Amino acid sequence: MLNVIVTAAVLIVNFILQSTVLQLISIRGVIPDTAIAVIVSYALLRGQNAGAATGFAAGLIYDIIFGNSLGFYALMGLLVGYFCGICHRNFYRENYVLPVSLSALSTVITGLIIYVTGFLLKNNYDFFYFLFNVIIPQAVYTGIAAVVVYKILYSINNRVEKKERERRRLF
Amino acid sequence: MKFFNEYKRQLITLAVIVLAVISFFTAGRKINAGFFDDVLGFVITPFQGAVSSVTGWVNDSVNDVIHRNELADENRELKKRIEELETENARLSLYEDENKKLSELLETAQKYKDYDTTGASVIAKDTGVWYDSFLIDKGETDGIENNMAVINAGGLVGRVVKTSAVYSKVYSILDSRSSVSAQSLRTGDLGVVVGDHELMEQGLCKMEYIDSDAEIMEGDEIITSGLSEYYPAGISIGYVKEIHQDENGLTKYAVIEPKADFKHIDTVLVIMEALERPTEVD
Repeated sequence: MLNVIVTAAVLIVNFILQSTVLQLISIRGVIPDTAIAVIVSYALLRGQNAGAATGFAAGLIYDIIFGNSLGFYALMGLLVGYFCGICHRNFYRENYVLPVSLSALSTVITGLIIYVTGFLLKNNYDFFYFLFNVIIPQAVYTGIAAVVVYKILYSINNRVEKKERERRRLF
Repeated sequence: MKFFNEYKRQLITLAVIVLAVISFFTAGRKINAGFFDDVLGFVITPFQGAVSSVTGWVNDSVNDVIHRNELADENRELKKRIEELETENARLSLYEDENKKLSELLETAQKYKDYDTTGASVIAKDTGVWYDSFLIDKGETDGIENNMAVINAGGLVGRVVKTSAVYSKVYSILDSRSSVSAQSLRTGDLGVVVGDHELMEQGLCKMEYIDSDAEIMEGDEIITSGLSEYYPAGISIGYVKEIHQDENGLTKYAVIEPKADFKHIDTVLVIMEALERPTEVD
């Protein structure tokens, strides 16, 4: 339960920061997608179920506030969380390579999905413009941001797990 | 939790299918998440407002320190400009009176009305990199309705696409989902101002479907034509920056430099008049 509350709080704080403060560090209109970094971090730290649930919640917040259609980002977040959670078992937690590379990879894949559904299907065939000016810069930027995000979530998660263990010992 | 673990795969598959169906059917429509919308809005928007104003204040103070000398010069220039504008304004209001009398004589309605506006602060911007939409801190409780036009610095910014109790979402005219029926003020040539992702990065937009014989020129002012469903007539959009011929040879398009300053947009005015025109043809 504690875990759910903490995750919800992390997602809401992330959304608030992403829509306000992070806009100030945009480079040529590209800001890091820290929501994806949060989803990937939780999927790696807590497994597929938690990853899918976190992704779903993060996407739903975006869908409700900014989205075009209800459930689109929730679906993408859910899938990102679920598939990144596969690496949970063989994952060495102090290693930063996996969270960074998976965040960047997830950003590329979700970017391609958004391009195809939101632009290609509306007759915008400028694929290479979007690839080189939007998708790849954002993936790189998200990868860099994932270092910070993962570091924060790793320590938050350690504390939560410690509390949970204490509680289990009581009963 | 045990149940969840046992049927993990089935549950995830079910969720994926349900979400795909929902997002397919709600695509492009006004989402009415209603209850969740209001709850999330109550939780999130006050914080967004607070964080935005703090970051804005910090940004402004840093800028103040850096540009102190320039500000004094600018202030002097602006005072001069105000004086000029006041004189011009006095002259124009005479014209307005005259115009009103004449159009009363002609029994025609005034085309360019004085619109009621209300000020609002921009509290958050789209977290994605694909579109250009933002939230303002006024909602249904302040009388904001869907499809009201939003302006800033005398130029069109966009329109309200979704309202909630305490906040509203605005699509800017640079967003590729936006299109505005427009005309050139000087020549009356019609076109459609649309957002383009590549130009959005530079704070520009595009006016499409201009007749290739049109005498539109660089520097011409572009205003809303009033033919569109949402935007009232006569709102300034911006100036023509470049003109290009389309590949089909029948039309040309112009790159428009909007009057509104999209790089530093923190306050906007909402025109409190939602046009009530049929949005769908039966």
